[in-house]
Amino acid sequence: MEKYLKKKIYIISFLFIPIVYFWDPDWLEFLGVQPYWPLFWLLPWSMIYGSIDGLIVGLFLGMILDSVSPDSSFTQIPGLVLSGIWFGKLSISSNGFIAHFRYGLICSIACFLCNSLYFFQILIKNLSDNNIFFYFSSIGNIFAQVFITGLLAPLLCSLLFVLFQKSRGKDKLIRFINK
Amino acid sequence: MVDIRRISTNRWWHKKKNWGLFIFLLFLFFVRISKGSLYKDLYFLISKPFWPGQFQREILTKSVEQEFFIKFKQLEKDNKRLREILSLKRLSDSESISATVISRKTGSWWRQIILNKGEKDGVEVGSFVVGPGGLLGRVNNTSLFTSSVILLTSPESKVGVWIERIQSHGLLVGLGNDYPKAIFYNKEVNIEVGDILLTSPASTLLPPNIPVGIIQSVDEELQAKKTANILLLGKPQAIDWVQILKVAI
Repeated sequence: MEKYLKKKIYIISFLFIPIVYFWDPDWLEFLGVQPYWPLFWLLPWSMIYGSIDGLIVGLFLGMILDSVSPDSSFTQIPGLVLSGIWFGKLSISSNGFIAHFRYGLICSIACFLCNSLYFFQILIKNLSDNNIFFYFSSIGNIFAQVFITGLLAPLLCSLLFVLFQKSRGKDKLIRFINK
Repeated sequence: MVDIRRISTNRWWHKKKNWGLFIFLLFLFFVRISKGSLYKDLYFLISKPFWPGQFQREILTKSVEQEFFIKFKQLEKDNKRLREILSLKRLSDSESISATVISRKTGSWWRQIILNKGEKDGVEVGSFVVGPGGLLGRVNNTSLFTSSVILLTSPESKVGVWIERIQSHGLLVGLGNDYPKAIFYNKEVNIEVGDILLTSPASTLLPPNIPVGIIQSVDEELQAKKTANILLLGKPQAIDWVQILKVAI
């Protein structure tokens, strides 16, 4: 059973993303904004399995999160798909210390991308009713989420990265080290 | 000599009785001039232990409440009849459903709360949710055991509101932060800080006159409309219990 759980950890953790999304603990928020949870899972997955897998999983993640989110007019798919592709192109750092901080930086940039794309959708949809500056007061959401996501990424991404590597049999990491 | 002494001892001021009468007259004069204030103050001190206590106050409060309740029922009946004539939305006659908040997302763009009552309990899409303070949002999705409520602060939320003081209608638009904006499509409208926003009686989605928020600041005029920042009365980030109310056509 334990072996099975270890092997299927990526599926179990994937299924838990919407649960964590709903949970959204108050004590992990910054300026009332919680981290962008799907990126913590998408980054290690895409780095291990590549851009195509990143794209597909980004699409699935976006579809699931759009289903559980209240806003039916806007979608998270473009941001997650682009992040998935980008994460897949990044190399795995052999230096553990640097890798930790790299996760933080990468997640912050991806969070900025996802949030900006979402914000533009809101702007474009409401452009006919209101002027472009109408929604600018909520731009703080982007920076708050970028900060808190970047802060937690080193911890969570590293943990998931190790778990995914174990479940995969460390072949990619071993190949990378052999190179 | 004897006569003179007798006369002098018989002067009126030598008699105690006369002095008493004089003091009494002086007292009456003082009471008259002060319009009985001395009596009133004395009565205040004497009656203090016998003033209406908590018990009498409760009886009176109850009576007043009953009076208000009867008036309220009468007004509600009239309102229902008139809204039926005008074919506007009204509250359902059925009782409200109490629900607990089991998940809340009150930050970032995705602003919703999830309640522990769903289709099984008779919650319908479009029902609106109120909490302590006023309106919180509308049910936009239900599952068997839960219902999702889109909050007024969500960028997706648009609700018809009005200010009763100036009888002006507007639109409350969520921006994705804690302070939604109210848009009034008339720049001559005289909105002031502190005005209370209620759901619009002309709304086709919500019943009328549910408290929504208070005008916090008024923006500069833009084109043909006026906008104001709203401080919501219902605080979803701190509420654990809400009421789901159905809208009847």
